Formats: sequence, C-alpha cells, structure tokens
Amino acid sequence: MAGKPIEGEKRAFMTGNEVVAWAAVAADVDIMYGYPITPQNEIMHYWTRMAPKYGREFLQTEDEISAGFTTIGGVLAGRRSFTATAGPGNTLMQEAMSMAEMMRIPIVQVVTQRGGPSTATVIYSQQEVTMTCFGGNGEGARIVYSTSTHQELFDYTIKAFNIAWKYRFPTFVLGDGYQSKMRESLTIYDPESRGIKMVPTEPYMGNEGLPGTDRDPHHLRNTYNTEDELYGVVTDIMKNWEKVAPEVAEYQEYDVEGADVLIVAHGVVTRAVQGALKQLKEEGKNVGHFRPITLRPIAEDQLRKRAEKAKVVLVVESSYGQLKKLITDAIYGLSTPIKTFLKPGEGITAEEVVEEVNKLL
Amino acid sequence: MAKGAKIALAGEGGQGVQSVAMIITEAAYEDGREALYIPNFGVEQRGGVSVAYVQISDEPIGSPKFKTADIVVALSDRAVRRTQKYVGEKTVFVYDADIDGVEDDLPKNAAKVLGIPAIRVAKDELHPRVFNIIIMGAVIGATGVVNLEKAKEAIEKKLGYKFEKDPKLRDLNYTAIERGIELVKEKL
Repeated sequence: MAGKPIEGEKRAFMTGNEVVAWAAVAADVDIMYGYPITPQNEIMHYWTRMAPKYGREFLQTEDEISAGFTTIGGVLAGRRSFTATAGPGNTLMQEAMSMAEMMRIPIVQVVTQRGGPSTATVIYSQQEVTMTCFGGNGEGARIVYSTSTHQELFDYTIKAFNIAWKYRFPTFVLGDGYQSKMRESLTIYDPESRGIKMVPTEPYMGNEGLPGTDRDPHHLRNTYNTEDELYGVVTDIMKNWEKVAPEVAEYQEYDVEGADVLIVAHGVVTRAVQGALKQLKEEGKNVGHFRPITLRPIAEDQLRKRAEKAKVVLVVESSYGQLKKLITDAIYGLSTPIKTFLKPGEGITAEEVVEEVNKLL
Repeated sequence: MAKGAKIALAGEGGQGVQSVAMIITEAAYEDGREALYIPNFGVEQRGGVSVAYVQISDEPIGSPKFKTADIVVALSDRAVRRTQKYVGEKTVFVYDADIDGVEDDLPKNAAKVLGIPAIRVAKDELHPRVFNIIIMGAVIGATGVVNLEKAKEAIEKKLGYKFEKDPKLRDLNYTAIERGIELVKEKL
C-alpha cells in the first residue's frame, strides 16, 4: 500500500470539493458512503480517485436515505465513515441524522449548501442552516461547523472526525456551493505533522468481553415503549449536550471592542464582512464583526457580551433569517435591536455590507 | 502594472472562458499571489452564457463574487448584455468587435470600452481553437496581473501533454497569447 497521502505540509490551489476529499484521506477515513448531488459530486469523484491508493473504500448507495444509514452502519462497525450531500439530499438524510442523534453515533456529514427549497438551484446559498442544525425529529444535539475558506474546509473536515468520535454527537461541516466550486490556495498537511492525533474509532457491536462485566454494554436502541423511558434518554442526551456545548462552541471576533454596530455573519459571508470592516475602519466607523464558527452550539455567552454593548446588531446572511433565528435565540432578553441584510441564494459582497452599515450609522 | 484585479469573463458555453480563468489563476498562484476563481455553474453549462469570476491580489481575497469588475470580457451578444451589471466607472470593458447588433448594449459608464477582433484573428491568422488563448492574452494585457512568462508556464502545465504530441501547437498557443496582448494594448 502507498504511504501517507500527504507528507508534512504542502501548498495547493484547488476546489473546495477537492479539499474535502484530501482532508478525509489525510484524516485516515476508512469509507465514504454517498449519492451524487450537485455541488458536492466532486467530493465523491476525488475520494474515489484517491481512496483506493490508500486502501480506503467507497460505496455509492441508491439514494441519500440509504447513504445516511449506511454511514451509520459503517460507524457501528467501528469505521471512520462519512457522507456528503446538499439540498434535497440533505433533506433525505435527516432521518438517519435523527437516529444518529438519538443513538449518539459519531457520523460526519459534509453539506455543500445549494439554493432554495426542493430542487431549486444547484449553485449557492446559506439556506441549509436550519435543516443542518435542527432538521431532525429531535432537539438538534449535533455539532455544526460553518467554514469560510478552503483552509478551514480542510482544518474542520479533519476536526469533525475527532470531535464526532470524542463527543459522540453527529457532526457536520457546513460549506456551500461557492466553496465547492471555487479555487483558491491553502496548505494541506498530514494531521500528525501538526500534532493532531486522530481519535481512535471502535465498533459499537461485537466487542470483546462480556457486556456489563468486562466492559460497558452498548445499548443500541432507537425505539422506546413508554413516555418515561424516552424522557429519561432524551434528558440524558441533552444534559450531556449542554455540558459539552461550551467546550465545542467556536467563534471569531474582529474589532468588536467598542463597536456601535455588531455585524454577525457566518460561512463565506464572513469574508465579505471582513472586507467591509477594513473599509469602514478607514472611514472611522465603529463597527465590529462576530462570526460564529459553530452554528450549533453557538457561542452564546460571548455573543451576548458583545451584543449587549452594541447599539445595533446587523445579521448578514444568504438566506432569509435562518442565522437570525439562531442569533435572536442566543441573545434573547437584550434590548439591542437586530437589523438584517438578507439575500437568500445570492452571494454577498463587501460593498453591499458597507452600504448596509452606512444606512444604520 | 495593476496590483490586483477583479475580472469577469463571459461567453457562450464552449468558448473556453472557464479554461482561461483557470489558467490565469493557476499562473497567479504559481507566481505566489492570492488567486480565487469561481465559475458560474448553473444550467448555462449546458448551453447559454458562461461566466467566470476571477480575483487576483496580494492580500487574502474576500467574498468570491464582486460587485464591480476591473475588467469585463464579453464574447457574445448575450454575454455583453449579461455583464452590464459588473461595469462601473473604473471598469475596462472588452468585447469582440465582430459581435453583431450590440452597439446599443455596450456600457455607457465604463472607463474604457475596447472592441478587439479576437474571433477574426483566431480564424484568419491562427486557428479557431486558440481563440480562448487570445482572450487570455487580452486579459493579461489589460490588467498586467500575470506576466507573459508565468502565463506561458501555466499554459504549458495545462496543455503540455498535447504539445508533446504536436510541438507546433506550443508555438500556436504562444503566438495566440502574444497576439491577445497586442490586440488589447493597441486599443488601450
């Protein structure tokens, strides 16, 4: 078998889909399960090209419902497994994701958001935020990273596997159509060369020893007979979720000290906001930017702290208030007004953000 | 020479605007610069106007799309109409001089509007297949974001395997890129 996919570090210029495939190979992923859908197709294409060289596998399933459940199967068998999808495929996968939430299965799903409900467009949006964070028939005990650059796409794809296996919550990398298709430069690396150790995987079934005596039993159950039973299990999951949420939540802040306007944006849109910030600073405006990296859980305390001091919060997103809902919920009770700049399915430029901020000042 | 550039390239599917965008950004990347290229990949892939958005800079690049381009290249009548919205007062607008019936649709607010006979030069002087390389020359001639040497290296990287079989193709492509630069420089 060939050696490591990446030795040390390497500069590269590639598409986001290629980045995800490289990251998964570098993260020692055993198998990808998938079903084609634009704009994530090339994740599968690149994976199927690279994986066999390193003894990894791929299964194309008959649809996304199946891709979701086979990924669960792979995880139960102790394999580092993942799937990738978008749009209506993400909708179909929610049933498996709900099961993963209920059973604490460390599944990893990469989502490359496309636009609109149903088939809609194959291009770009941030309209899969609600579905990716809360799309199951459950409470949304899932970890969602929203990436903004190819570098982050690489870093967080690797991280997703470690976080999923460490905390045993389904974990998502939320990219978008632009990230899938655009080319930009990044550094790809062997995780080990940066001291990143991959969390070992282990099968949920067929382990050595007597359950309950030699080891904890894996109580693999997804069906409950009574209300009380279900109440107990879900309460336990959510108690655990709330405990780990502050450890998992990630965010970035730009010029937030003393900011009158606090812009909140995630994913690719944060790039436009960061660009706008530069210009607004030159004009002497007091504007800051809070960027949640995890959308679920969101860095609530840190966001509240900043929002409380601002005169106004401006939520900028390529969807119609999906991020805003998360923000409203996180800062509930504060008197700071929330304004929005919403462009469902359309990219946002720095110039537009400058214009919106100037309307507020 | 420009420090950086925002470029919108638009043409009919098959005219090669996406390959041009890819080669230019590869060249810029190999030159150690920041580069970002995103194709418009809607149903246009299957016939219609195809748009490539390219940004080259010395600093990390923000949002993948932009409002106003430094240079817009439009290679068909539909592309001329479609790209109006990326034109501002500092934009250089390049179009193919042999497109019929677009006189009234050319932008009025551009810094410069340059009609270059790329299609004709490709057909009469060189070969229709190198039309997109002439366009690539026009883009780098107008922006200076990539030098000729790096551009040639990027072409070699992309098409080298074809040149091995037929070395005449290399000369043809190199002539095409130089002609493209000339065509735009004559007008600038």
